[in-house]
Amino acid sequence: MADVLAEGYNVFDTSKSPSGTIKYLASPADVIGLIQSGKLQEHILLVRGGTTTFLAPALSMGAIGVITMSGAPESHLGILSREFQTPCVMTAHLTGSDSRYVVGNTDEAHFVEIAKELDGKRVRLDCTDHEVGRVVADD
Amino acid sequence: MTTTQGKRATYKQRYQDGDEGLRFQELTYTGNFVGMEPVTDGIKGDQMMKSRAKSGVLEKVSKEEVLKNQFTIDELNDLNNYLAWNIWDVLVMRATEGVSGMIPRQEYEILAFMHEFYRWPELLRMTTDEIGAQGVMDIGASARREIGTKINSVHDWAIGAVGFGMGRCGLLALEAIGPDDYIEESNEILKFMQRVLWGKRQDGYLLNSQDRYRCQIHEPDFLAQLTSQVEPLEHGSPKHSAFTQFNAAAELLSFLDHYDCRLGLGDTGPYELPDGNLLILRDLFVNEEVFHWSDVCEDAKLPHCYTLALVIDPERMGLNEIRVNDISTTFTRPKNYIEAIVGGAVFAREKWDTPMGEVYPIKIDDLGEHLGRVQTATLKLYTKTSKMHRRDLIWNGQYVYYVDMILPHLRKAGTYDKACQDYDLWEIDQRVSNYYYDITKRGFAQETVPSKIFSGAGYLPFSDGADVRRSKYRWGL
Repeated sequence: MADVLAEGYNVFDTSKSPSGTIKYLASPADVIGLIQSGKLQEHILLVRGGTTTFLAPALSMGAIGVITMSGAPESHLGILSREFQTPCVMTAHLTGSDSRYVVGNTDEAHFVEIAKELDGKRVRLDCTDHEVGRVVADD
Repeated sequence: MTTTQGKRATYKQRYQDGDEGLRFQELTYTGNFVGMEPVTDGIKGDQMMKSRAKSGVLEKVSKEEVLKNQFTIDELNDLNNYLAWNIWDVLVMRATEGVSGMIPRQEYEILAFMHEFYRWPELLRMTTDEIGAQGVMDIGASARREIGTKINSVHDWAIGAVGFGMGRCGLLALEAIGPDDYIEESNEILKFMQRVLWGKRQDGYLLNSQDRYRCQIHEPDFLAQLTSQVEPLEHGSPKHSAFTQFNAAAELLSFLDHYDCRLGLGDTGPYELPDGNLLILRDLFVNEEVFHWSDVCEDAKLPHCYTLALVIDPERMGLNEIRVNDISTTFTRPKNYIEAIVGGAVFAREKWDTPMGEVYPIKIDDLGEHLGRVQTATLKLYTKTSKMHRRDLIWNGQYVYYVDMILPHLRKAGTYDKACQDYDLWEIDQRVSNYYYDITKRGFAQETVPSKIFSGAGYLPFSDGADVRRSKYRWGL
């Protein structure tokens, strides 16, 4: 069985299982830069928040998969990823870490750890379960 | 289809007496009912909240009741408690989304909440004085025969849930007011909300959650005009893809134009069609002319609103429950309804007041050009927004809430210009302007707001013996 690197809320169940290299996006400039590089569809996008505006052009231009560190399927990014049918795992936590996201009470180290661990990894998203979305190593 | 193929639709059971619906989340609500059984989400939660009311204001109420100018303290408290639960029901999970990285939404939200509570009562009273209580109900009723109108669930709900509920809650949390301050003004806001919602629904209820999450406001003859334009869609076909892609892209722009909030979209339904399929009507407001940043949408020649008719086959997805909630958003179980879309139509309304006879359909084969315009505007608006400084983003977002939430009602009443000219609608009250510096201290916007507003913990009741005429007369005591 493939190695599950992270788990979170599955926004919608789908047989789509996109694979790519995780790209952590920290700023709008990162988003614009990725689109301009022409390599948007080579990457699974990792973002900190669950809001939708931050990723707006990436979603619109055909992002293949998204991982967030906060938010839920009811969050705006969750709603939009469902509408775009872009597989999305929200509030992902590392399976090898005890650190969890808590609203209003999560220190910076939590986000840094996830970004550091996942950025650049080759993965695929498994979104077949009704509730749990999985980030699986795809080496 | 994926994991739901072959499962039978059971969603109609949700409409039977005694059915408590499904649970969409594991969390429970306490609010002002400390020591009592925790309240769930969904249909069961609605039933529990109604059973705890002291008045009849949460049951079906008559037109005569709605035309009365004054709520009792019990009625105000019942509405306060119900709205607090309803806010929790629709937003507690959304509120886990954390920072935007683009728009400081929590900051602009809390400023708008408080601004609304201070300023809206005067504006809504002026509007009621201009057109009368029946006129306010007629504003709501107008939505029954229109598409592309912002007189919709989220805007109508926001009058009470946001302007009164969250605004009062935020000011209580900031200790700027006490529980028995501004009762008269609270009555003014809630009466306006009640009249609009009652006029729109006309079944005696106010909110979709009171009616098992249905917002079936359109007459059959009106719906027939729209469904006559529906084109069949086969999952996996280019046409299906064109329709669903356009839906998603336009919805995204409607979020962006409204600063990442729900005011840009509005669902009604579900309407059962003769063949057993379900219709959701979805307004996507992609160009709001009162926002100066919407110039990129104007440049892209986008209409005020696209309206999509989405026809869903409940059997295809094994539908167990469908909710059109009070912030105009559709959620289903199973969650993925997109693959079960079997028909669609698209309409455009050029301006907010374009007559219904001039709203025009767009063939799905012609959506490509519109999609290009939507994507162009999205990229330009994103680039423009990314260059804005924090203060501009916060006050722009504040305006989206504070102005847009009552904009459709003032427009329809013909009092928007008066609100701008005589009441300085677009000015910022000095108290709220000063709060700008307080909201980031001690985690007020990031922690206090989510914990008090979205958990339901901060909606303190009015005292039993409080005077319904009370405003605020003492400061600093």
